[in-house]
Amino acid sequence: MAGVTHALNTVADGLRLPLEFSTSSRHPVAPLLDPPTDDREMQVLLDDIRGFYAVEHVPAVFRWMARDRGFLQSYWEATREAFTDHTLDRLTKEILAFAASMTAKSDYGVDFHLREAHRLGLTDQGLTEAVEVVQLFNTVTKIADTLGLQPDFPARPRGPSLG
Amino acid sequence: MEIVHVSDVHELTPEDQKFCEATKAWFKIDFVPKMSRVLLTVPEFGRPYGRASRRAMSDGALSRGQKELIASIVSAINVCEY
Repeated sequence: MAGVTHALNTVADGLRLPLEFSTSSRHPVAPLLDPPTDDREMQVLLDDIRGFYAVEHVPAVFRWMARDRGFLQSYWEATREAFTDHTLDRLTKEILAFAASMTAKSDYGVDFHLREAHRLGLTDQGLTEAVEVVQLFNTVTKIADTLGLQPDFPARPRGPSLG
Repeated sequence: MEIVHVSDVHELTPEDQKFCEATKAWFKIDFVPKMSRVLLTVPEFGRPYGRASRRAMSDGALSRGQKELIASIVSAINVCEY
């Protein structure tokens, strides 16, 4: 989930794609094309993306990827899986994506994931608490790196394969 | 490589040693993390920072587990080994 979030933010901010839910003066550095309307598979895919996020328009970062249907299909499948309820629920994942976006200073990611987290039930108090933790750990990670602190816990032996 | 001396707990003031004991209990560990000891090297900073941390990391609208996950993802994005 962290990897997908970081990569989508990199594409969206790198291409200066307009924010989805906040006012933005950003203009894409390359044209966002309209996906072909006569491509049935593409339309099914875009409908799935719209449905997942409960939005009227396909988010710009996925519209960008629609230049290459095969890539979008596979990447969307992975993204959907990463953000679907499993051991962690979808709200928690969106809060984490918001925290990752804020830490990476991604305007697109903060806008996108904050809206998703709110839609899925994040309260104002929850947002306050999440930002406090982001702030605290952006403090201590910087201190740790500056001072070259070595981990408290010794490196653990390799765990079971994820595959 | 660490560029500062990380104080041992016994080098800290009794008040700060007490806080370190609470830290061990908070994390359910039998040692005091280096970060806690480093922060208390400057007690005027470390003490209020510790109070802010304890307050922010307690269960609230978000659970302590969710907050630890946020801490992990911030550390990952910042590529912080510690």
